[in-house]
Amino acid sequence: MKPVRSTALALTLALVLTVLAGVLPARPAAAAGPEGQATWAVHITLAPTWFDPAETSGIITPFMVLYAMHDALVKPMPGKPMAPSLAESWTQSKDGLVYEFVLRKNVRFHNGDVMTAEDVKFSFERYRGASAALLQGKVARVEVLDPHRIRFTLKRPWPDFLAFYATPATGAAWIVPKKYVEQVGEDGFKKAPVGAGPYKFVSFKPGVELVLEAHEQYWRKIPTLKTLVFRTIPDESTRLAALKRGEVDVAYSITGPLAEEAKRSPGLALVPTYFTFTTWLVFTDQWDPKSPWHDRRVRLAANLAIDRAGINQAVYLGLSKLAHSFIPQGMEYFWAPPAYAFDPRGAKRLLAEAGYPNGFESGDLSGDTIYGVAIGEPVANYLQQVGIRLRLRPMERVAFFKEYGEKKLRGVIFSGSGAPGNAPIRLEQYAITGGRYAYGAYPDVDGLYTEQANEMNPRVRQQILHKMQQLIHERAMFGPVIEPAFLNGVGPRLEVHGLGLVANHAYSAPYEDLRLKKP
Amino acid sequence: MKRYIAKRVGFAAISLVLLSVTIFLLVRLTGDPTVLLVEPGASQADLEAVRKQFGLDRPLWVQYGHFVSSLVRGDLGHSFYYRTPVLELYLSRLPSSLLLASAAMAFSLLIGIPTGIIAAVRVNQWWDSAGKVFALLGLSLPSFWVGLLLILFFSVYLGWLPSSGSGTAAHLLMPAFALGWYFAAAHMRLTRSSMLDVLGSEYVKLARLKGLPEALVIGKHAFKNALIPVLTLAGINLVIMVNVAVVVETVFAWPGIGRLLYEGIAFRDFPIVQATVILNGAMVVIVSLLVDILYAVIDPRIRLAR
Repeated sequence: MKPVRSTALALTLALVLTVLAGVLPARPAAAAGPEGQATWAVHITLAPTWFDPAETSGIITPFMVLYAMHDALVKPMPGKPMAPSLAESWTQSKDGLVYEFVLRKNVRFHNGDVMTAEDVKFSFERYRGASAALLQGKVARVEVLDPHRIRFTLKRPWPDFLAFYATPATGAAWIVPKKYVEQVGEDGFKKAPVGAGPYKFVSFKPGVELVLEAHEQYWRKIPTLKTLVFRTIPDESTRLAALKRGEVDVAYSITGPLAEEAKRSPGLALVPTYFTFTTWLVFTDQWDPKSPWHDRRVRLAANLAIDRAGINQAVYLGLSKLAHSFIPQGMEYFWAPPAYAFDPRGAKRLLAEAGYPNGFESGDLSGDTIYGVAIGEPVANYLQQVGIRLRLRPMERVAFFKEYGEKKLRGVIFSGSGAPGNAPIRLEQYAITGGRYAYGAYPDVDGLYTEQANEMNPRVRQQILHKMQQLIHERAMFGPVIEPAFLNGVGPRLEVHGLGLVANHAYSAPYEDLRLKKP
Repeated sequence: MKRYIAKRVGFAAISLVLLSVTIFLLVRLTGDPTVLLVEPGASQADLEAVRKQFGLDRPLWVQYGHFVSSLVRGDLGHSFYYRTPVLELYLSRLPSSLLLASAAMAFSLLIGIPTGIIAAVRVNQWWDSAGKVFALLGLSLPSFWVGLLLILFFSVYLGWLPSSGSGTAAHLLMPAFALGWYFAAAHMRLTRSSMLDVLGSEYVKLARLKGLPEALVIGKHAFKNALIPVLTLAGINLVIMVNVAVVVETVFAWPGIGRLLYEGIAFRDFPIVQATVILNGAMVVIVSLLVDILYAVIDPRIRLAR
């Protein structure tokens, strides 16, 4: 009896174990450590300056790499425009002069060094990228209170301190290891960068590819993917071919007919992302009483003449956002204006009321050769249809921005900007007297700008900034057109590709959250 | 002879000096690179800071003086974009370019010479017409289009070859074909006309009269002599291939000098454009100099005439 009983017991046990194995969830993959590789086909040539947060030049592109190799005290993360990262928390004094950050403990750089407040101070002072002079000029002193606490004292209250320090407007809050940088020097750091991000540097072949490997001591979580490869493929068709063949998992910037092709290809997905990029018309002559553009009705007519949805469908497969303000919808302090209807009849009526029943010759519509043609050309056609006759003048990008900044362009400008920041930063550049690209301004809007710059109460400040945008809208100061989507192809292997997870970020992020599909 | 060589070297040096001045000035006519290095919405202060960082705020003659003095020391400057010495970048890309050019050259000769010979031997027959069509297509189809068709067919539809990149022989096939296609047609045309010249010569007629087999006449007597101008052209074309692969390297993401030049132009990276043009120009000038000297060695009439 005994052997029979033990055999039965063993069989029962085996059966129970088999059933349990099938029912119980498997051990998390992360426990086995990072594994697998994901590859990106990048549309632009990767530059070593992007490996160093100190060199951030005010464009969004370097953050494609910074999110992998480095980490910031505070940075945009999924669902949070300013998420605590290397800083656990921060406080702001009531007078708006002092910001104190409490750092996360036991954060290690890729070389094993522990991050301290000295590294934060060093990174801030070393920062020499976009708006460095502005940011550093506003700060009276940076004090290390202890290894995990740092204090910034401003010269005067500045409501935009965090907008510059804790967002992609600058790279000053992205922390590099002081000891290592001093040891290897500036050039050495670019050749072998060390950060506190979820992925560490493995190799870089200029113009070819960047290879990164998981940093298993990353504070937030152990990355799931072992290796990230960023391969430069400048030609759009080749990027899509590489995606179709499974050579890459994500292909950045796929547009026009190729985007349609990606959309209908089995196994591929077309994923739009959005960042603070919008396009709009600038009516440069609106301050000239002799110009037709001086009349608000003419500017309003131009706004009603444009079929924004039609352009969106034709150029971006309907995936872009229609713009009714020159401030992007994702920007802090954005005020949502009433939408402009597509109303060519209304536009013609307004023109007739303004004294131009047969329309008028309006000179040039100047724009760059990329967006100025892709979007500018249909805009010119729509304006033409109601009688506003413009000559499209596509200009090479450098020449365009040079002449635009030097205020040499006349007629109508097809403008665009993807600079990070917030609404007041964008307003200052384009709509305030003295702004780099401002061809004119209105005194009341200027006055409100000065007022908000000194207002520390966010609620009151928001009201002022909304009022400014409202005035701009009422005067039809600009002709907003579209917030172009950044279209990307995604292959079948990635379960979490990270596109669109972080608001106003065009690329995959956070990289530690990316995951391959289970086989 | 020494005087002749000294004269040619002098001309070569003058060519290089003129090239350096021309490219220095021309590249600066294309606009301010700082605009591309910062976001369009960047402040004037940011633009000024970038200009100062790269020495672009200094007068043009000061910039040129600095450029020449660095050039004499063998320093071609630092890339604005990569922030590394340009010479380092150039040399890191050179092997890829030479590999691609060599493969493309091998392909162009393997295709161009036999088709040229056949077209000459079967002149005005079907083979010759086919060769003419091949030459017409080769010379008129743009390489980027050929490249994209190759990717579509061999990578996307058949899945046989990687669409882009480098590292294996499979990566090399399509770019070499796309680059060599034009040159294959050029070599075919030259081989054909050269063979026709030789086949009409007295010594070939004599060889035929002597009753030598046709294969021997063509292979030994005609082909050997017809090959000289083809190989001379091929030598120069090899250098040209290194220089003109911009489009092919861009389409196939091939990491060569062509793409470096493309990146330099796209980002207004003056040091990269200057260095690439000067070094590529030097390559052409040196090869031309060597050809001149070799011709003079071979044919005394050339050195005496000059």
